[in-house]
Amino acid sequence: MTVRISVDYGLCDGLGQCALVAPEVFALDDDEQLVVTPDPAPELAGKVAAAARACPVRAISVEGA
Amino acid sequence: MREVVVVGAGLAGVRAAGELRARGFSGALTVVSDEVELPYDRPPLTKQVVSGTLTADDIRLAGAEDFGARWVRGTAAVGLDRERRRVRLADGVELPYDGLVLATGARARAWPGEVPAGVLTVRGLDDVRALRAAVDGGAREVVVVGAGFVGVELASSLVGLGLGVRVTLLEPFGRPLRALGGTVPDVVAAAARRAGVELRMGIGVRGFRAEGARVAGVESADGSVLPAEVAVVAIGMVPATGWLVGSGLALPGGRVHCDERLFARTAEVPGVAGALGEVGVTGAAGGIDPRIVVAGDVARCDAVRSADGPVALEHWSNAAAQGESAARNLLAGPAAAGSYAHVPSFWTSAFGLRIKSVGLPGTGDRVVVEEGEPGSEKLVEAHYRAGRLVGAVSVNLGKRLAGYARRLQEERGAAEAAGVSGGAPGRGSDEVPAWGGAAG
Ligand SMILES: Cc1cc2nc3c(=O)[nH]c(=O)nc-3n(C[C@H](O)[C@H](O)[C@H](O)COP(=O)(O)OP(=O)(O)OC[C@H]3O[C@@H](n4cnc5c(N)ncnc54)[C@H](O)[C@@H]3O)c2cc1C
Ligand code: SF4
Repeated sequence: MTVRISVDYGLCDGLGQCALVAPEVFALDDDEQLVVTPDPAPELAGKVAAAARACPVRAISVEGA
Repeated sequence: MREVVVVGAGLAGVRAAGELRARGFSGALTVVSDEVELPYDRPPLTKQVVSGTLTADDIRLAGAEDFGARWVRGTAAVGLDRERRRVRLADGVELPYDGLVLATGARARAWPGEVPAGVLTVRGLDDVRALRAAVDGGAREVVVVGAGFVGVELASSLVGLGLGVRVTLLEPFGRPLRALGGTVPDVVAAAARRAGVELRMGIGVRGFRAEGARVAGVESADGSVLPAEVAVVAIGMVPATGWLVGSGLALPGGRVHCDERLFARTAEVPGVAGALGEVGVTGAAGGIDPRIVVAGDVARCDAVRSADGPVALEHWSNAAAQGESAARNLLAGPAAAGSYAHVPSFWTSAFGLRIKSVGLPGTGDRVVVEEGEPGSEKLVEAHYRAGRLVGAVSVNLGKRLAGYARRLQEERGAAEAAGVSGGAPGRGSDEVPAWGGAAG
């Protein structure tokens, strides 16, 4: 199953907690803006779900995890 | 396991309840909270809620309806009988359990001594409402005692309101956010001053002056009195474990001591351990109670340690991760449970600075600015102890921290493989700051 990630950039505060949990998929850029790798490998589904739970502002939602 | 009771409905308790259900626990679940308020998230309180950009409704955590739990609100747990496996509530009700999650977090540390009206602490929604009510009601002189993250965030939010609130931040230990160590506290101090906060560093507080019943000033150790219409005492927290005294659990520094797997450790009472069917007797703290797990601010976990021993964390990500791990381990039982393996991470933001950390900065013996200019508002600082990375702090450069987190994980793996232990257990970071008097 593919993993579909959506980020509510209105909520995202660039805290980067997601990037600590799943650096393969989430990263911050120079301006502390979140960059998401599209279409992560299905085996990363668990990590992506954990990253979503690690987001303090609940900006990440995941389908297919 | 048929009946699980979760005591405390903060982040750790709510995550534990959610994880129990996610892992297929279908028995009776009861969550006890002494707050009347529905569960909510605390980090926004001193930031967006004081600033007015988020409301109480915006910061709600999942609740009873999400987990099919029985929810007891507004009632404190007042006692624990481990032999009969019952939690006693303030209204006299006793809740039986097969599994128990202790997640009562902490209270704001109160000023030692009487205080006049208008002297507040901030831990919960009500506290923030009271503070905003005072400011909205016209209070313009605010003195914040204590420049930890709560004090610093409040100072930033209050001067940022644009209402002309004058904020004085007092810190007897000389620097704001000093727990971070390194040079970041100086960056924060400079930014606070630029934002218009009056900083008084290295000056202790003696007490409060009142006019009638209300606060009128804060008296510092050098004898001067700062005018104050509101004072906020932000001098740290006290774990909420008073109700566990006498339960036979180990409570070093007031926290519930738990092993690497988050099972509650028992105090060493010969004879009692056998009666309760405890397993894995190790070290001075006695055995563990296999039916009780611990999570969040209330916990002192053996898996979280510096070279000086277990360290208690007061961080959001720790409460979230421990809540989930504790629930999993409770269901699995001690034999199948895994060690809590989580690289600590913390963030705070104030005065336009986004400060994030991983690991345990402030426990090192050498600090190196590895990116950016020392003293600038965009940098990463690495903390080493005996040549090993123990933590990193970033200011407006959070993108680098994932790499440090990975290194910390690798170092830990290597240390464990080599059998290097973190040092003698028993010495944590439960230091109590010497507030009042001539601290300096
Ligand atoms: C103002 C503020 C700002 C913060 N900002 C940040 C931040 O920016 N970044 C970060 O990483 N961390 C931050 N934190 C820390 C983070 O919020 C805490 O680590 C986290 O809330 C701990 O969760 P917990 O569930 O362990 O405890 P708590 O949130 O304290 O929840 C415990 C609950 O148990 C209840 N309780 C206590 N005793 C009893 C009893 N006997 N019976 C029944 N119920 C009881 C309490 O009333 C409370 O509702 C902040 C904390 C505060 C207070
Ligand atoms: S953890 Fe949440 S707020 Fe932080 S960068 Fe990721 S999505 Fe944004």
